[in-house]
Amino acid sequence: MKRNILVFSEDPRVINEAVYIANILKGNEGKIFGVSKLTEDNDVLSNFDEIHFAKENLIPEQWAKFLIKFYKENEIQYLVSPHTVNNNDIIAYVSAKYNLPMISNATSIKDNDATLIFSRQVLGGRGISYIEVEKSLKLSVTVPIKVYPRIKLDKQSLIKEITEIEKTKITSKGFEEIKKSGFNIENADVVVGIGRGFKSKEDIKLAQDLAEVLNGVIGCSRPIAADYGWLPNDLWIGISSKIIRPKLYIAVGISGAPQHVSGIMDSKIIVAINKDKNATIFKYADYGVVADLYQFLPIFTRKIKENLKK
Amino acid sequence: MVNIATLVKLSLNLNLLKIESDGRVNTADTQLAISEYDKNAIEEAIRIKEKHGGKIVCVSALTWGPVNKKISDAERILREVLALGVDEAHFIIDDVLDNCTPLETSLALASLIRKLGNFDLFIAGESSMDISNSQIPARIASILDIPFVTYVRKVEISGNNLILQREMPNGIETVEVPMPAVISVTGEINQPRLPTLRQILQSKNKPLMKYTLKDLGINLNAKLMKQRIEIRPVVRKNIIYEGGNLEEIAQKLVDNLIQEGVIKA
Ligand SMILES: Cc1cc2nc3c(=O)[nH]c(=O)nc-3n(C[C@H](O)[C@H](O)[C@H](O)COP(=O)(O)OP(=O)(O)OC[C@H]3O[C@@H](n4cnc5c(N)ncnc54)[C@H](O)[C@@H]3O)c2cc1C
Repeated sequence: MKRNILVFSEDPRVINEAVYIANILKGNEGKIFGVSKLTEDNDVLSNFDEIHFAKENLIPEQWAKFLIKFYKENEIQYLVSPHTVNNNDIIAYVSAKYNLPMISNATSIKDNDATLIFSRQVLGGRGISYIEVEKSLKLSVTVPIKVYPRIKLDKQSLIKEITEIEKTKITSKGFEEIKKSGFNIENADVVVGIGRGFKSKEDIKLAQDLAEVLNGVIGCSRPIAADYGWLPNDLWIGISSKIIRPKLYIAVGISGAPQHVSGIMDSKIIVAINKDKNATIFKYADYGVVADLYQFLPIFTRKIKENLKK
Repeated sequence: MVNIATLVKLSLNLNLLKIESDGRVNTADTQLAISEYDKNAIEEAIRIKEKHGGKIVCVSALTWGPVNKKISDAERILREVLALGVDEAHFIIDDVLDNCTPLETSLALASLIRKLGNFDLFIAGESSMDISNSQIPARIASILDIPFVTYVRKVEISGNNLILQREMPNGIETVEVPMPAVISVTGEINQPRLPTLRQILQSKNKPLMKYTLKDLGINLNAKLMKQRIEIRPVVRKNIIYEGGNLEEIAQKLVDNLIQEGVIKA
């Protein structure tokens, strides 16, 4: 079976995240096309039969309109893309034009002879949805970043520049980068999570001290970053931001909303500190302490120091 | 005057999930709730109306069936939406839509929207709280052939143009777009208000209209892909320390963590 695949990513740095899936989907003689922004990265250039680059930043609608033409001209069966805010929007827009169903953020794919079974997180992360589709069905799928293996296909790519750029009524008026924490919470062995149990920004120091003695970093629930702006967005853990898998996650003053918990489910050990003994987070914890964080954290931090010295 | 359609999802109520013994979620017997961030979409619409005038309509499609089990729940939620300050609510009920995908939902919503007339602005929440595909805004924009801007955290209106701030993972993007347009808003854009008693009483007299797919003149095949939802098993030790001396508890916890090999002694 020949199945042509179109892999798209606005950001070329993550496009290879979708190549693993593309390669599974393509069958015996399908081609893998890539569409992205200009890059010199050879690992990207060698992963596609043909790759089409835009030299400038495009508005999502402009990408989508390019893809709509491309899709038709190249007899595409599957549209695949790494899941980012803009990629998901763009693929949804294209899918609507061709009445394609679309699976957003598929965390696994299983080849089941005549069908494919995709899975994805739902219910704020408490549930998994299994979706079975006939292989003959045309569809789109976005895949989370850092879940599938990164592969190298060593192809001789045909490289083309996108020259015909569609008009859009949207004009970009600027981009203000927000400051980053400088930490990579996705790779940290120990993460201390800060929630609304902290009463002020200054109090975060208590969690920082704990993270420091454990050689770890701090992270937070959505309101701490998005509502209060106490911490940068790259420390926000959960379904709408970072998924982490540390050896040790310590949730402090976090209630355990599914959307947060879905970002920590794969941690090896979870510890919860919360003053409410009925807090949901305890259900997800290996070890829990029902206590006021203001009393407990300083003691806990000191105890760890003492034990490390021994 | 800005005429607004808010897109509201009748979501599964995440606090009242009916779970079968095999872990499967029984969607037919799970109650509904308004999807969390759609409250922000409604609130933003009300703020725009307060400033610029116009009408606010709520459009929705019941995508969890069967209709006979869900209809009264759906009507209750949409009455609440009306009580918040929305002028009219219109929703699609059809068993074909039970557990359908955003493809069918958006086609159904788009035909309802076309039937209702012209709108300047469509506002949705950034993502639904139950299924979280975040496809509807872009799909509706694509079908109606108008621009879309998602994850908006600030809306300003200047003449016929919207000046929007988007919350992106690495920063804030400002864009300008003429109406009509589709936007989705973040959960932080505003603090949704609660209805007053007077508004709750008034909501009883506001239009709440139902349509089947036939009423809308469309035929959908929603059988292409069905999802089965299961609860993720949680296997944790659940050793909880409560009461007693915090020094002792801290020491026990440290011992536990050393034993687990996650901190080094
Ligand atoms: C579509 C959608 C996406 C979302 N995405 C995310 C996401 O990615 N990440 C995320 O985190 N959230 C997300 N949320 C929000 C989520 O539903 C919760 O609102 C949020 O996680 C709650 O944060 P919290 O636990 O810090 O605060 P709260 O729920 O307010 O909990 C605070 C906790 O602190 C405890 N506490 C208070 N004082 C003390 C004290 N002195 N000592 C000890 N404990 C104390 C309280 O008992 C309580 O349990 C999302 C929601 C939706 C609808």
